[in-house]
Amino acid sequence: MSAPAGPMTEHVQGMTIQRSRLQGRDGDLLTVNFGPQHPSTHGVLRLIVDLEGEVIRGLKPVIGYLHTGIEKQMEALRWQQAVVLTDRHDYLSPPINNLAYALAVEKLLGVEAPPRAQVLRVIMSELTRLSSHVVWLGTSSLELGAMSAFMYGFREREKVMDLNEEISGFRMHTSYIRPGGVFADATPRFLEMLDAFIREMPRNVDEYENLLTRNPIWIARTKDIGHLTPEDAIRLAASGPMLRGSGINWDLRKDRPYSGYEKYDWEVAVENGCDCYARYLVRIREMRESVKILRQALDSLPPGPVNIDDRKILPPPREELETSMEAVIHHFKLATEGYSLPPGDVYVAVESGRGENGCYIVSDGTHKPRRAKFRSASFVNIQALEQLALGSMVADLIAVIGTADAVLGDVDR
Amino acid sequence: MSQQIPPAAVLAEGMIAGDHWIQVQPEQIRATLSRLQAEGFTYFLFLTCVDHLATPLLQQPPQRFELVYQLRDLKQRREIRVRVFLPEERPEIASVQDIFAAANWDERETWDMFGIEFEGHPNLERILMPEDWIGHPLRRDFPVGGEPVDFSEDHETWQTAPPQA
Amino acid sequence: MGVEQLLEPLGENVLTTTVGKLVGWGRANSVWPAQFGLACCAIEMMAAAGPAYDLGRFGSEAMRASPRQSDLMIVAGRVSQKMAPVLRQIYDQMPEPKWVISMGACASTGGVFNNYAILQGVDKIVPVDVYVPGCPPRPEDLINGLMILQEKIKAQGIRSRV
Ligand code: SF4
Repeated sequence: MSAPAGPMTEHVQGMTIQRSRLQGRDGDLLTVNFGPQHPSTHGVLRLIVDLEGEVIRGLKPVIGYLHTGIEKQMEALRWQQAVVLTDRHDYLSPPINNLAYALAVEKLLGVEAPPRAQVLRVIMSELTRLSSHVVWLGTSSLELGAMSAFMYGFREREKVMDLNEEISGFRMHTSYIRPGGVFADATPRFLEMLDAFIREMPRNVDEYENLLTRNPIWIARTKDIGHLTPEDAIRLAASGPMLRGSGINWDLRKDRPYSGYEKYDWEVAVENGCDCYARYLVRIREMRESVKILRQALDSLPPGPVNIDDRKILPPPREELETSMEAVIHHFKLATEGYSLPPGDVYVAVESGRGENGCYIVSDGTHKPRRAKFRSASFVNIQALEQLALGSMVADLIAVIGTADAVLGDVDR
Repeated sequence: MSQQIPPAAVLAEGMIAGDHWIQVQPEQIRATLSRLQAEGFTYFLFLTCVDHLATPLLQQPPQRFELVYQLRDLKQRREIRVRVFLPEERPEIASVQDIFAAANWDERETWDMFGIEFEGHPNLERILMPEDWIGHPLRRDFPVGGEPVDFSEDHETWQTAPPQA
Repeated sequence: MGVEQLLEPLGENVLTTTVGKLVGWGRANSVWPAQFGLACCAIEMMAAAGPAYDLGRFGSEAMRASPRQSDLMIVAGRVSQKMAPVLRQIYDQMPEPKWVISMGACASTGGVFNNYAILQGVDKIVPVDVYVPGCPPRPEDLINGLMILQEKIKAQGIRSRV
């Protein structure tokens, strides 16, 4: 080809298009930029795609548009203050992030939350998983053109938000699960609302399935799209529905149980399709399993305190402050200085709606973290995007991104 | 520890809060990780760095930067943490992204945030920060930044320079 | 012949107003937001457009994917240093008249993230009309912010930005 070397840049409709002529391949490659502000990239993800006609020949995700400096900010805060930041990285599953952090701190301190708190933690985790999955269902089906699932999904999300509000006073960033226990005990109204929610949720999942599972358009757009073999899934360390959609039976709640997950009777959702449709089915089945766990947790909620009885880690109850000098001193110490963790490092992982949500903390013996790192499922799953999309049509990219279910706040932290 | 890793390569080994860890020489990292992979630790969890600048610990870490690799064995449900210490000036280590593909972005992130160089990485460039950014934000001597807040306790000092020890 | 006699056959089927009021009324009730979700606040923005809150009651359900078709930018979430130039470019691409709602603590002031990575307030790069506080603001808060903006647009009429 006698075309001039180097790409030619054109500006069309606010997009920068680079036309490049690569040698050794048939035809021209068109380099198109998607994002970071694009309606179907599921957040501020930017993709640089090389297209040959409609076929993707190269894909480069560019991330960092939501880099928030959470890990650095945590180093400047005390151990108990840092909880609020954990809410905000994977913003579709705040209580699960809290849980990872709280478990890590507790593991280093060598304490364990009381039984009632553990069950409440499970309840909040499963509620969050449900709300995360319905938001996923709504947004990714919206991106693929199915508008009604969005409406149904957000209807159920509102119910979870109401439950969050009832138990913690806030809709999204609850900071409900904290080192040493939970923020407050469940109110009787919460338990009633939860009971009603559990009763009606299976029917709602049926409704989603009626909309999508046998919908020919949905099947055409997701089946055999975005193939990820089990070997590749492990090689790329994919987790959550990405891993289970490729036929690997691995769920942290079963395989490395925490917070008493081993006590509940439920099944890991595994599908062998290795494609976007399988990942969709995994999520739908997970919703049903979550409802099962919620029912068992609600029925087995033991009485007792929801916080450990350790004045060095958690402030004394309000009533004690009026009568006991010691309580005031403890409160003052905690409010001004916080507590310190023994030196060391620890890694704890929990299963979020997106996969393995891990927290690695390093303490140098002071009252602030030396280092806190989040092993985020989205960051790792997005890394697999190139593998999933190469060779497929450009329209299928949307399905692939959608079913990878990355939360960009979690990718960039 | 297993018999397959030559004992000479393992400098130290221990358990902390239930987590198993070993420490190896930086030169041994590729050999160690491939052996661990052959032993069944096929799932790469994460790789990150810890900056021990001015640590208040009594037992000082041997070097400023500590690299941490966390691996998991899906079959036997065990995990292992591999530690490597790197010096302050020109911290560099061999890339392991051809052994564990999942390490690719983690290595880029560690370069971006800590300035650790990974030899043999195909495109070691900034991943989270803008390309023209100067400095490595997660190093302890990089200030937190932002705007000073009146009446805040010690955040202000952090914003210009983190406390030394 | 006075105006009254002219109007008589029309009965009560006519209103008189000024052009400015008419234009302001029209603009205020069809504010089309650009779909510009950044972080957690964007989820609440979607919830506001969802079934329970239904932003469509206020004429703003048509979230446009292209800045060229919209006249309101809801900056929903934290703006990182890497995103800031992109945001400004999108703002520049929007046709006049245009308005900006800064949704959430992060967009307004940086919120809890007082650090190197986050722009400490989106008003550093684009002019903001309404600030909606909260982390994240409830969907009702966003709707309230939109209604305040509607008042502002009505008052503005056909004048350009004051
Ligand atoms: S204000 Fe709060 S909810 Fe909104 S983007 Fe910032 S951290 Fe997220």
